[in-house]
Amino acid sequence: MRGALAPLAVAAALFAILPMGLSMAGSGYLFRLADVTLIFCILSLSMQLITGVAGLLTLGHAAFYGIGAYAAAILSTRLGFDAGLTIPAAGLVSALFGVLIALPTMRLVSIYFAVATLGLGEMIYVTLLNWVSFTRGPLGIGDIPPLRPFGFDLSSPLGSYFLLAALAALCLLVVHRIAHSYYGNALRALREDDQCADAMGLPVVRLKIEVFAIATFLAGIAGALWAHTTGYVNPADFRFAESILILAMVVVGGLGSIPGAIVGAALLILLPEALRAIGEVRILAVGLIMFLCILFLPKGLFGEVAALDLVRRQFGAAWRGGSAARPLGWR
Amino acid sequence: MPLLEIDHVTRRFGGLVAVDDVSGAIAEGELVGLIGPNGAGKTTLFNVICGFTPPSSGEVRFAGELITGLKPWRICRRGIGRTFQNLRIFPNMTVFDNVSVGAVGRLGIGPVETLLRTRAARDRARDVSARTWQALERTELAPYAHLLAADLPYGRRKYLEIARALATSPRLLVLDEPAAGLNDTETAELARFIRTLHAEGLTILLVEHDMSLVMGICQRVMVLASGRKIADAPPAVVQQDPIVLEAYLGTEEPA
Repeated sequence: MRGALAPLAVAAALFAILPMGLSMAGSGYLFRLADVTLIFCILSLSMQLITGVAGLLTLGHAAFYGIGAYAAAILSTRLGFDAGLTIPAAGLVSALFGVLIALPTMRLVSIYFAVATLGLGEMIYVTLLNWVSFTRGPLGIGDIPPLRPFGFDLSSPLGSYFLLAALAALCLLVVHRIAHSYYGNALRALREDDQCADAMGLPVVRLKIEVFAIATFLAGIAGALWAHTTGYVNPADFRFAESILILAMVVVGGLGSIPGAIVGAALLILLPEALRAIGEVRILAVGLIMFLCILFLPKGLFGEVAALDLVRRQFGAAWRGGSAARPLGWR
Repeated sequence: MPLLEIDHVTRRFGGLVAVDDVSGAIAEGELVGLIGPNGAGKTTLFNVICGFTPPSSGEVRFAGELITGLKPWRICRRGIGRTFQNLRIFPNMTVFDNVSVGAVGRLGIGPVETLLRTRAARDRARDVSARTWQALERTELAPYAHLLAADLPYGRRKYLEIARALATSPRLLVLDEPAAGLNDTETAELARFIRTLHAEGLTILLVEHDMSLVMGICQRVMVLASGRKIADAPPAVVQQDPIVLEAYLGTEEPA
């Protein structure tokens, strides 16, 4: 029972309290804000797997988000694909690129990997910008149909919100199961010392490619959701600055922490909006808050140690056996 | 048939011959020491056995099968568990999670079964947990299981490395200078512990710089000097060997 309470609370907040509040406010702007927050939660969760859990600093995450968005945009506007198909297809296309990029780069040592992802991210951006016959270049792709998967009309603000919330919850479940398991322990071992992990019997390169494939799949889904809810995609939405924004969410929330990724995404999307009243100075204020967070809470607002402890205690993920008095390991 | 066979292994780094035509064998159930002065090639030979460095020539066979050229993780899964000379624990993981990595490494794990939480995945997780707990109890680390490895007292960290290697269920345990940084009392405690592991049936290769630990507990000692094997005999014989004494006295005092 204790293990079921916390997941129920998360579900209740996501599917009952929040949508009820948003409907009562009756504002399209707030719904849009909730949608963008959910999309960025998926992005920060997926980057958390690569960077926080497996310890691979990636500076090109927005490129996979962009690939997903363009895949959904092109499939739905040119080929008339249903949103029920474009969303998983966007994930697959993005994961395909993820694996293709991971194969040669996963043998690189940390900082070289970061620079390689930076370069590849920029290449993808430049391709989106200049391959005019395919992507319409800087004009972007408009008239992307709203969310009507398999004939269900979810194009209303509430309908879209529910679909996004359900998919974000699904992505959270994927990241939770990967990170909060012995598979996650293997990934954390790569982060801590990949040579040593190798000597302990872990196929290091294969694990890195797997986690990159999973994370880029999720980023592609986030891109498709962005394309369908915005109705328009433009290369500028998937620039290096977006990668850095996602990285900031992960770091401010807490590297390696799954709840931290959500806290970081919510904070960095909602804070600039909440500060709209103070005008352009708000960007400075957000920067200052990020700076102070890192300075005083280098482990993040919701650090990994606290996060793993919470998941073990409240989400029933721990192993209980032997003479251990405390929750340890994974179920 | 010996468990581990080192067959004319040579390893060159450019012009330097770090390991020069070394052969040797370890039988199942033995406790063997590998000693030598600094720069004798112990660590290089160690890395050849564990797959970190391919040999320039020669072969290593484990349980009758060729393991030269295999990646370290494959060699580990064949049954060679190792520790590192300068502690390489996973500092931001708990003691329990550190050790679990060894069990996961040995049993293997996949993302799809983890995602779907298949029956096989749940059974595997129980198996990993049980093996981890067993390795912790064997090394008397169970009371520290919940601590972050970084918060573990220094002397206990050696045991954490050994526990992690034990969790890989090795047939051969290779310890790289386990006594480094320990005082006399701690070294004596470690010697007792290694003897207990051996008495329980584990085959152990102990690579040491310090002679006293090796001479005290090993049944047989191989001595390397300048990349060559200069002796391979019981401790009492090796201690009287003029060539060994010269090799040691030429560089430093025997400890």
